[in-house]
Amino acid sequence: MRPNDRKFLKSHEWAKTEDGTATVGISDYAVSHLSDLVFLDLPAVGSEVTAGESFGEIESVKAVSDIYSPVSGEVVAINEDLPDNLDSLASDCFDAGWMIKVKITGESDELMDADAYAKHLETAGD
Amino acid sequence: MPTPTPSTSRPPATEKLLRVVLDPPRSPALNMALDSALLEGGHPATLRIYSWSPYGLSIGRFQDPETFRAVPGRHQIVQRVTGGGAIYHAEEITFALTVDAARLPASIPDSYNVLHDAIAEALSAVGVQTTRVCCSPGSSPRPTEPWCFADPGPSDLVDPSGKKILGSAQRRIRRPQERILHHGSLVLHSPPQGPRCAAVADQVDPASARPTLTEGMVTAMASALGLAPTPAQLDPSELAAAQGRLEPAAR
Repeated sequence: MRPNDRKFLKSHEWAKTEDGTATVGISDYAVSHLSDLVFLDLPAVGSEVTAGESFGEIESVKAVSDIYSPVSGEVVAINEDLPDNLDSLASDCFDAGWMIKVKITGESDELMDADAYAKHLETAGD
Repeated sequence: MPTPTPSTSRPPATEKLLRVVLDPPRSPALNMALDSALLEGGHPATLRIYSWSPYGLSIGRFQDPETFRAVPGRHQIVQRVTGGGAIYHAEEITFALTVDAARLPASIPDSYNVLHDAIAEALSAVGVQTTRVCCSPGSSPRPTEPWCFADPGPSDLVDPSGKKILGSAQRRIRRPQERILHHGSLVLHSPPQGPRCAAVADQVDPASARPTLTEGMVTAMASALGLAPTPAQLDPSELAAAQGRLEPAAR
């Protein structure tokens, strides 16, 4: 069961918003399809992200994928330990595997709750 | 961790044709720019067969070019948008496939297997024997070798001696559409730089095999994708889009 306290994009990122700040990561579905994770590139603190646009890249064995931002705003924190501890992303993508925190100025109009995301996966998966 | 919800179907792929572009030799920088442009530009499914003039050294997305400054020879160093290790591009058949993600299995390893099996079929037809590496139990996912051909991994094609003959890598985007770039280097002659790898020349004469091998790769990959191959050339706007991505000095 995915946590109900956050919203999801069709491209498998999630955003959990509290007091105007969104914590962002990728879903279990994304992690399971990436297979062995090897490298992660996150934006710098202070940089701007835009909803729907790539903010980072992740390499699994054999493929590099973009990570898309569910929100717009300024990056106020990144999970600095994550790139060298990608096992925590694989094992706990909704908590220890968070990627960035964003002071929100806007958000994607494509965000959906956990139930809608689950329905999306049923119709659009492999 | 929650188990991903089982799914019953994928959105149907809408492409029916595979544009096959037998491209003239281009610079390393322009080759990489074209691969990116064809992935991101919403173009039709394309299989571009190309070569390198001058020779070049491409490195993976997360590699540091400084690692390779001391590699001897006059060549350009370019960074791929795909992952993996460094490749010295000399005498090889290079291919770049850009296609809707729905045309390939969602599983990354399975998508490699589909394409690599097609290439193995084409190689076998000209007398080059290969096998696909099944698995590498116990190996760390983070590569320990900087060169692509140094360390065969799961899904890689190797010759009877166990050396890698094909190096390939993927980039996957999900916006605005789910598309995949899968490009690779099939070695005709092992290049002088980098580790000794397997080559077509180890088993057959590359010059005489090349036309049949190229045609076989196109036919087998198109068949694996369920697309009809159609000879084509790059549209001038596609070339312009790629040239626009280059650093001013490289244009």
